[in-house]
Amino acid sequence: MAEGPAATTIAASSYEVDLGNLMAYDPSHHIAAASREELRQECLRKGTELAQALADALFALPPNEDRDGPIVHLSLPTVRLPREKHLPKPKPPTKWELFAKVKGITKRKKNKREWDEQTQSWKRTYGYDRVNDDKDIPIIEAKSTDEPGVDPFAQRRDEKKKRVEKQEKNRLENLKKAAKIGALPRLLSFTSKCCFPPPLYYECLFVSGRNLAELQLSNIFCMQSIQLAAKALPIIGTKADLPKKSRKEDLESVVGMASSATASGGKFDEKLPDEKPPKHPGKHRKFLPVAEGKGMGSLEKQQNDKILNSLLARNSDEPLDVGKASSRIQPLT
Amino acid sequence: MRPLDEKETTQVFEKLFKFTGPNLKHLLDRPAVQGPDAEPGRYCLRLHRNRVDYASEALVRRATAVSRPRLAGVGTPIGRFTHHGAFHLTAHALDLLAAHARRRVWLKPDTERSFLFGSSVPKSSLARVTENAKAGDGVVVMSMADVPLGFGIAARSAQDCRKADTSAVVVLHQAGAGEYLREEEELM
Repeated sequence: MAEGPAATTIAASSYEVDLGNLMAYDPSHHIAAASREELRQECLRKGTELAQALADALFALPPNEDRDGPIVHLSLPTVRLPREKHLPKPKPPTKWELFAKVKGITKRKKNKREWDEQTQSWKRTYGYDRVNDDKDIPIIEAKSTDEPGVDPFAQRRDEKKKRVEKQEKNRLENLKKAAKIGALPRLLSFTSKCCFPPPLYYECLFVSGRNLAELQLSNIFCMQSIQLAAKALPIIGTKADLPKKSRKEDLESVVGMASSATASGGKFDEKLPDEKPPKHPGKHRKFLPVAEGKGMGSLEKQQNDKILNSLLARNSDEPLDVGKASSRIQPLT
Repeated sequence: MRPLDEKETTQVFEKLFKFTGPNLKHLLDRPAVQGPDAEPGRYCLRLHRNRVDYASEALVRRATAVSRPRLAGVGTPIGRFTHHGAFHLTAHALDLLAAHARRRVWLKPDTERSFLFGSSVPKSSLARVTENAKAGDGVVVMSMADVPLGFGIAARSAQDCRKADTSAVVVLHQAGAGEYLREEEELM
């Protein structure tokens, strides 16, 4: 404020301008303001200077003339912005991983092609025309335990279906466990629009300028999260936001409330054939009578005695008052 | 007005026990002197709104004839339950506690005023302490003329009192006779 225009121009050259982030920063700036109003003025003034520096830098770049106007390519950002979100939490080991660790099972690489003895050719391990396909079994020999009338091919198909379902259930359980501790990446809002890979991929490119490999990985994660969302979890939010399925106790209590919500408390309503009597008729808390017959009745006395005794028992850590005992000692005659 | 339920009775008894110790039994078992009945019943605790009153059974029986909004209280109020269910002893219980408490503390004459104004008792005001007071015990504060001034919780045991320096707090003020003048509206 007390500096002249010369000082400001000198200072202007020392601003750090990051064109990639469109940011201008003055490392030598000290705010010397007394009141709020002054502070505001100071901030506006300084901000104007910095914005001017930024504009100067922008217009100093060589422009390409386009039909919409001059276009400049901004350089890559020099200032690395801090993480927006927290570091991803490590995923908990899946059920299989735990089991494998216990048993000492290590992963082994499978070859893409395997030798098929039956057709004497190299076949894929998975996919179309694969090695041990269920469809290719021509004859299944009957065992002594087989019942007549049971189709072994259909049986095999059913078993496979069950195995696949079980595996899918386990996979979702693993995902749920990971989601519970927050290890799954949160869904970005654009995933709510569609589930197809290609548009997702392009929108990823538009939203975040990260490299392709990261994007594809995050795609897979997002796909899995979408599948989980389809099953149980909400798109945004936690499990607590889900509408809870009404439990039997909730329904019973609501029925009780409704049945007594008449003018005479539901006393004279006809009951349905299988309806049970209400569990809490009228009073929900029972108190002892204020004055029972002639003076304090036995119930109150019992209650008081019980509490008193337990209190005394708990605090009877002074079995002997040494002071009193010593004062009572009488000399032997 | 209703009798206290188990939880509430436990809370009241625990607070009273700090002062009276095993004398608490006597508090509830002694024959009553209140009330118009010739035959003395016993004393009991009754809850009215959120105040706990100590009254004889005869009084309680008579009090059932008064309608609830009109009943101000029965017998001697001992304390009240706060909004969230904690129990505090109030200054009205002074007479009862003074009669039945085990530990007492006597204050020097010039320092009575400070206690009546609500401050805790420093060691410099102590004239006498009962021998076997322990820290955390309920203690009745008396003047040298054996007039009960109030009650509180002993911050130190009797032995520690002797070792402590003069400004150390010995009794934490809980309630006192000064409240009748200072906080008249709140007491009722």
